[in-house]
Amino acid sequence: MRIESTYKQNIQDRLEMPIKPKKNIFLQIALLVAVLFFFFSLYQLNFDYARLISGTGAFLETLTLMVPPDISQWQHVLAAALESFQVAVLGTIFGIIIGFVLAFPAADNITPHPTVAWLIKGFASLLRAIPTLIWALIFIVAVGLGPFTGILAITVGAAGMLVKVFTQSIEEIDYGVIEALKATGAGWFSIVSQAVIPTVLTAFLSWCILRFEADMGESTILGAVGAGGIGWELTHAMRAYKFDQAFFVAVVIFLMVFSVELVSNRLKMRMKNIG
Amino acid sequence: MTLLQVKGLEKKYPDGTVALKGIDFEVNEGEFIVIIGPSGAGKSTLLRSVNRLVDATNGAVIFKDRDVVKAGTRVLRKIRREIGMIFQGFNLIERASVLNNVLHGRLGYMSDFKGMFYLFNQSQKKTAYELLHRVGLGEQIYKRADELSGGQQQRVGIARALAQKPALMLADEPIASLDPVSSNVIMDYLYNICREEGIACLCNLHQVDVAKKYATRIIGIHAGEKVFDGKPEELTEDIINQIYHNKKKELVANE
Amino acid sequence: MSEKQLLQVRKQKRLQVFLFFAAMLALSVWSAISTGFSFSGLFTGTVDSTKFIIFDLFPPDFSYIASLVEPALETIYMSFVAMVIGAIVAAFLAIFASATTAPHPIVQVAVRAFSSLFRNIPVLIWTILLAAAYGLGTLVGTIALIMVSTGALTRAFAEILEEIDMGQVEAVRATGASYGQVLAQGVLPQFLPGFFGWSLYMLEINIRASTIIGMVGGGGLGFVIQTQIKLFQYEQVSMAVLLTLVLVLIMEWITNQIRERII
Ligand SMILES: Nc1ncnc2c1ncn2[C@@H]1O[C@H](COP(=O)(O)OP(=O)(O)OP(=O)(O)O)[C@@H](O)[C@H]1O
Ligand SMILES: [Mg+2]
Repeated sequence: MRIESTYKQNIQDRLEMPIKPKKNIFLQIALLVAVLFFFFSLYQLNFDYARLISGTGAFLETLTLMVPPDISQWQHVLAAALESFQVAVLGTIFGIIIGFVLAFPAADNITPHPTVAWLIKGFASLLRAIPTLIWALIFIVAVGLGPFTGILAITVGAAGMLVKVFTQSIEEIDYGVIEALKATGAGWFSIVSQAVIPTVLTAFLSWCILRFEADMGESTILGAVGAGGIGWELTHAMRAYKFDQAFFVAVVIFLMVFSVELVSNRLKMRMKNIG
Repeated sequence: MTLLQVKGLEKKYPDGTVALKGIDFEVNEGEFIVIIGPSGAGKSTLLRSVNRLVDATNGAVIFKDRDVVKAGTRVLRKIRREIGMIFQGFNLIERASVLNNVLHGRLGYMSDFKGMFYLFNQSQKKTAYELLHRVGLGEQIYKRADELSGGQQQRVGIARALAQKPALMLADEPIASLDPVSSNVIMDYLYNICREEGIACLCNLHQVDVAKKYATRIIGIHAGEKVFDGKPEELTEDIINQIYHNKKKELVANE
Repeated sequence: MSEKQLLQVRKQKRLQVFLFFAAMLALSVWSAISTGFSFSGLFTGTVDSTKFIIFDLFPPDFSYIASLVEPALETIYMSFVAMVIGAIVAAFLAIFASATTAPHPIVQVAVRAFSSLFRNIPVLIWTILLAAAYGLGTLVGTIALIMVSTGALTRAFAEILEEIDMGQVEAVRATGASYGQVLAQGVLPQFLPGFFGWSLYMLEINIRASTIIGMVGGGGLGFVIQTQIKLFQYEQVSMAVLLTLVLVLIMEWITNQIRERII
């Protein structure tokens, strides 16, 4: 057989393995740096490990104080939870509106002018880079305490992110679709409404759901700095060492965020099936 | 000498599908057996029961005097390492190099620790390289597996199986994802190497002409039952029709 | 499907979309009424905030930067340590949380519930809960970040594991490889790119989060911002915010660089 004979012959030549090409060692170096930096960070943080142990004991102790949860304040807590939910809804909706309006002129492929696109994107990344809670602190000073402050803070955070992801979705559109409409002599608004919006709608919707999930988490913590909602109930209970009340609040917060995650997973699944 | 005995093999999947309804046959050393049958007949299930990627419900699979069905973890490892397998979808570790993929064939012979941490020694590497050279891929050994063409990937698959120094080779539709030219190349390599090394081979195929060209013996499966077992010359049009007889109907029903 | 049926389906879909938007509108109106929201309020609020930002926050006090270096570094250290520990623990937990690798469905449900508890209680809430036991400072901040990182990454890693190509894993198993070898040679190569990608993303999230946990006693830049606001030192506050911003952007840039090279 032919294969056999060439093989036997080759074996007699005693094959030399080809030399291994220089591997890309970026990953190895990065890993090494990461490990070193990890220990450096630990060293710099200079934790009191005795406190880590005693604290864990103390935490377990507070846990025993937390059960059974004290639900006597339930009306209060649920009202606050509802407020957090409403703040999240409004903040997300306004964020969506702002994101929707700004994304079209910010997308490179359909922007009326590149400078406009650049300005909007820069503005959005500024909004995004500052955490929502810091926005909340700023708004508290400017507008005062209350749910309104929370709505503003959530709006700003949501808008910052949604402008970015909406813009990306638009920029991923096949240029042919837009060109075809341009060729018919359609104006900017009709291109956007006829070609762009139908194409990106599903993507937009799933981003909105994702954002609401995040905002639900954000709105529960706003209270911790005084911007209304259920977070305040928790801070309050902890400061008063009413651990059993705090536990109840924590459970409610968990249920709120968790159920939103469940619903959003459901919705995402359905959209996957449709899209 | 008998290498493998399959006795009354039955398989019922958890969802209730009965894939095998009592299959019996023997494989002797050096045989090149092709299994044919319509889609859904149970060919893959049969092959995968041999090295227990699928757990049989009933019956026995005796490989070199050891019962595969009853084997414990350690014995199963020892059995598996003597049975090479190549797949329709190649199933190479895509992100690993071609050479490493072939070295995976040695895992069954290595200590847990060495195998987990890629501690292959120089002579293992050399052997793997020689195997790759043998299937015409000596130049490609440091490429990532997913950079190769389908035909090349299947040759890596063959080299991986050979690295196990197997006594038996299982091939589940090795050419179903390939173009005609690559298919020829793969079947030639598979056939020639098995013959040269005295490896027995069980090969699932869909193409009757290819089966007739290579097989020393052909087994026909229909709806989980063996309906033919004989020499390629004995496989007449009539019998082929019998094996595939209501293939059309089933295809429609499955869709 | 006939034309008639198609039309029917389309009509139904349109109705669904309409109902969805109507429900969203009703929800917003209800929320607006009960939170006392008004558009005039929105307008004056925006104007007031803009005024505050322009007149009080600006210009940032650059001389203050020296005293911000320490808290900024703390922020980085905490985020990084939490990311590394969270990623390692999560990788371990994910094996039990994914349908493909879990030894038993009950284990899977238990680990998922556990990780959901970590993930769905926001990091700030964890910090508040833990601060009573561990006291204020970077220790409690780091622990809270570890918990949330672990929760989020366990879910992400489990999903990666569920999407891996079982054919590749099976091929390794067929060679006679042991369980550990199959994990190392068949599963790991498919798992690593997602592992690094998500861990880097978690680092970004931690950096943001660690600036805010400072506000409830978790150390880092957030603590400075909180104290300086209470002291009405707005120009120092804006310096700290600016530094947060720079930190987040730099981190985003670095992680992007790494991500591009390894995936
Ligand atoms: N994991 C599984 N769970 C349930 N049923 C299965 C499973 N795998 C296969 N089956 C069923 O078992 C029967 C035999 O399948 P098998 O894959 O062995 O057929 P095959 O002859 O290899 O078909 P093909 O030529 O299409 O590859 C089929 O009816 C199939 O639907
Ligand atoms: Mg098959």
